[in-house]
Amino acid sequence: MTLRAVVKTAGFASPLAPDLDAFSVLLGGGHIQAAPNWNPTLACLTAREARRLSPHTRLALSVAEQVAPALPEDAGWVFASSSGEGETLQVILEAISRPDLLIQPLRFQNSVHNAAAGQWTIAARRQGPATSIAAYDETVGVGLLKALMQVALEQRAVGLIMFDGPLPPPLHEKRPVDCAMALAMALAPASTAASGDLAVIEGRLVDEVPEPLEPPDNASAGCFAETGNPIAAAVPLLSAIIGAGSAAATAHVIRLGVGGSRALHVSVEPVA
Amino acid sequence: MVAREPIAITEFALATCLGAGGRVHAEALRAGRSGLAPCEVYDTPFTCYVGAVPGLEDCAPPSELEAWDNRATRLAEAALAADSYGRRVTAAVCRWGPERVGLVLGTSTSGVEKLETAYRARRGEEPLAAEYSMRRHNDHHAVASYLMTRLGLAGPCWTISTACSSSAKALVDAHQLISADLCDAVVAGGIDSLCLTSLAGFEGLQLISRKPCRPCDAERDGLSIGEGAALLLMERAADGPYRLSGAGENSDGFHMSTPPADGAGAAVAMRGALAAAELMPSDVGYVKLHGTATPANDVAECRAVAEVFGATTPVSSLKGAVGHTLGAAGAVETAMCLLALEHGVIPGCVGLRRVDPAIACSVPDAPQAAALKHVVANAFGFGGNNCALVLSR
Repeated sequence: MTLRAVVKTAGFASPLAPDLDAFSVLLGGGHIQAAPNWNPTLACLTAREARRLSPHTRLALSVAEQVAPALPEDAGWVFASSSGEGETLQVILEAISRPDLLIQPLRFQNSVHNAAAGQWTIAARRQGPATSIAAYDETVGVGLLKALMQVALEQRAVGLIMFDGPLPPPLHEKRPVDCAMALAMALAPASTAASGDLAVIEGRLVDEVPEPLEPPDNASAGCFAETGNPIAAAVPLLSAIIGAGSAAATAHVIRLGVGGSRALHVSVEPVA
Repeated sequence: MVAREPIAITEFALATCLGAGGRVHAEALRAGRSGLAPCEVYDTPFTCYVGAVPGLEDCAPPSELEAWDNRATRLAEAALAADSYGRRVTAAVCRWGPERVGLVLGTSTSGVEKLETAYRARRGEEPLAAEYSMRRHNDHHAVASYLMTRLGLAGPCWTISTACSSSAKALVDAHQLISADLCDAVVAGGIDSLCLTSLAGFEGLQLISRKPCRPCDAERDGLSIGEGAALLLMERAADGPYRLSGAGENSDGFHMSTPPADGAGAAVAMRGALAAAELMPSDVGYVKLHGTATPANDVAECRAVAEVFGATTPVSSLKGAVGHTLGAAGAVETAMCLLALEHGVIPGCVGLRRVDPAIACSVPDAPQAAALKHVVANAFGFGGNNCALVLSR
């Protein structure tokens, strides 16, 4: 089966580049002032509601918002994150280290890996299927593979959200991620490609253990890989997808690990 | 579900508080036995009953993998040893080649029990112990990684963590991996261990019963946490006796920890599963409820079941027998449904004395003999994450 999908639109958020435009500037060799204390603002929640969510969940929701308008009501949602809810995990671990074991109910229900997926479907009143998947440093590859599989087999549009952020100490030294990063793609069956779409991507599995990260295209792009964030593995893919819409577009092949000794080769082509 | 050629469930193994393996679970289903007991694993400041898997002290990983040792990998070992499951997977790996065998595991808490211990042993702001490894011990993907190494698999591999629907969804992804011709066989299942996070977390939500849980009962007052491991093997073009013939997945889009009172999302999931299986509600002989035994959940789910199936199709929850195994529940209870199909038994709703008058379904309190061909198994998780499966013989 051919795992082919059209990328209707994409989103990005990180203190390194707050949105997709800034991401493109960085990738093009331009300069974006990094803002370590940057936080996304959400349109789908009031400021008060948003404050109840962890920074990781707010980050994930901010990129989901960027691609949601391109997706129908029945779209599926694939949330891929290595750590999921790191900050809430820390709060709960401290709570269960005290004798009374008191955990705040809101904290507990937001501690699950699918807190972002759940909060997103609630905030946006979306009722399509939602999943939340993890595979350590191969989270990007399996997230994309699951999304492509769902698009092809269910002939359904899928919002793919990938996000990870720094863990608080003492967890940080066990999984050092220095900067938060989230990206999103609105995928649809390739048969629906239309002008204005970003690219057509096609995935196939090959027997090859890929390099952990593709070498960055330029020095600016290297800043993503240096964060240790597993989502940085998607930067070359997003870069190729954005590039596919440009006048000088050429086909790219991106390689991503998906577990075991298999790799996902993703070809990125301009929309015909 | 759409597949060019048959995909069968050829093997399965499970370990719960009832014991390990198919035989002990089939006997327990026939006898209506519960494995819930007062909590001894932890000294909790509140009273609760749990479904603890016996004998984990003898389930250490093999010495070359001892760096992965935690309660979750011990549960994995208990399942691998049951009914020679591990050896049967090895045979499948020989049959298909390791790169064509994948793995999808559902878990809510992975190995967090190990990290809890590390935190409780920590003094002040000191770092975590050097031997503690997030990648091997607690990361969401830790147990799946362990099983890949342990079983010598080389296909695609991921972890699904959608709380209590996790491992039901893992079975759907396994089916998709074969349907899309990315694998010929997939090990799929769920593992979740007892841990303080789950016990104290549900206690914080005031959802833990002080007694063994009583799903669907008029006096039910909350859940009993269990632990378990269930691993299935799906294979292409195999003439095994069982199939995942349909699945329905959706989101309530309503609330993180409470379903809508009418169970609307659950009904959509069950209808979706029936449509995918190309079955009518009357084709289904038994509906295995998610049935957590909280006052709100059971009545909402049963409203949805009655709406889709009417009031006569037998329904029951397995959580009175094994407790709520959280992320493992979808796979554990699927494995028990396969036993129900094999042995022709509709499981009784263990712990039930008097059905809640607000529940308009037929809930047997004791097991009944019946020739079953199709059963529906529900699994619902935090975030309003719904998954209904159709399992067929």
